[in-house]
Amino acid sequence: MLDKGMVGRRSEPVVNEVEKGAVRRFAQALGITDEVHYDEKAAEAAGLRGLLAPLTFPITFRSSIDLREALALGQRGLLHADQSFEYFRPICAGDRIQVVAVIAEVSERAGATGPMDVVVVEDEGRDEQGHLVYRGRKTLIVRPAPREA
Amino acid sequence: MAVARKLYYENVRVGDELQPLLKPALDRVAIARYAAASDDFNPNHVDEDYARRSGFPGVFAHGSMAMGFLGQLCSEWVRAGQVKRLSARFVKIIWPGDQLTCRGRVVEKRREGGEYYVDLELWVENQKGELVVKGNATTRLFHSPEDEDRQRRGLSPLIVEDDLRPSLVEVFERELPRIEVPPRPAAKSTSRSRSRLVAEEEPLPAAKAPPARTAAKTATARGAKGASARKK
Repeated sequence: MLDKGMVGRRSEPVVNEVEKGAVRRFAQALGITDEVHYDEKAAEAAGLRGLLAPLTFPITFRSSIDLREALALGQRGLLHADQSFEYFRPICAGDRIQVVAVIAEVSERAGATGPMDVVVVEDEGRDEQGHLVYRGRKTLIVRPAPREA
Repeated sequence: MAVARKLYYENVRVGDELQPLLKPALDRVAIARYAAASDDFNPNHVDEDYARRSGFPGVFAHGSMAMGFLGQLCSEWVRAGQVKRLSARFVKIIWPGDQLTCRGRVVEKRREGGEYYVDLELWVENQKGELVVKGNATTRLFHSPEDEDRQRRGLSPLIVEDDLRPSLVEVFERELPRIEVPPRPAAKSTSRSRSRLVAEEEPLPAAKAPPARTAAKTATARGAKGASARKK
């Protein structure tokens, strides 16, 4: 059982800079070839402020929540079970996005091999004017610690 | 990249399938590359020994990597449109060597105010045809080139009631000349719209109302809705 007292804990805002190289490497790692992710001229021609970040790019954003520490996970592992994003505008290289995360849920659910601990984390990013850029929500399954090496 | 033709709401039909996206077989290098690009070094994805000690046969791909492929599928389909929402549930573990196919289908079309949305059902299958990721997305499109042109010029969006409406308007316009035909003294008011139209046609030509003009006038009276129908 995890500490449910952490539910509602909100992180301090952290600025995530969307870097050109990071956008290119992310697109490349997914095998996306569209030039709007690589070539600034192509992005500009598409009416974008900079290289377009692929849709799941906010997965790379960091918040100031350290889940392991907050939930005292020790050596236990985490498995990503689901993820959703809501977008309010495209994310482009050059953006400075302020990310805040909150532990939305800590619960126990029935798994194939008995009950498992589940953590839901929500985050949101805002631009420098304070406008919402995206909202995210992910479910993580807490796994038993690995056997000793 | 070839210049892609734009996708408009009026051309999308519920049940339309997205062009499937076939990804090359995943290997450990691709997984490691994604770990670096996403700054997610969960050892289950990069450390074979750790993965085994955690009860897995070996390392496996990040679920979010397959979600990234679904994002690619959506972006390529929607082209200049916007993806407003993307969700994915990681159903089955994706192993090195897996060859994934991303698929999608239009499940709903809806208008909210002057905004047109298309909802997609998405999924990823492995080479055995097993479902590995289940997802969905909401996209926003311009209704038509006319709607896009209006909005780009800062005008109000084109409002088209629903998918049936334009065809109803078309039918109405097709029927209109027939209703207008009787000479004035014989004109009987059988419907409100008709009597209003007759009144607007002052002075009514003796012989026959020119259908084109009548249709145009109806469109003006009905506002933007008629405008779209007129365009057809």
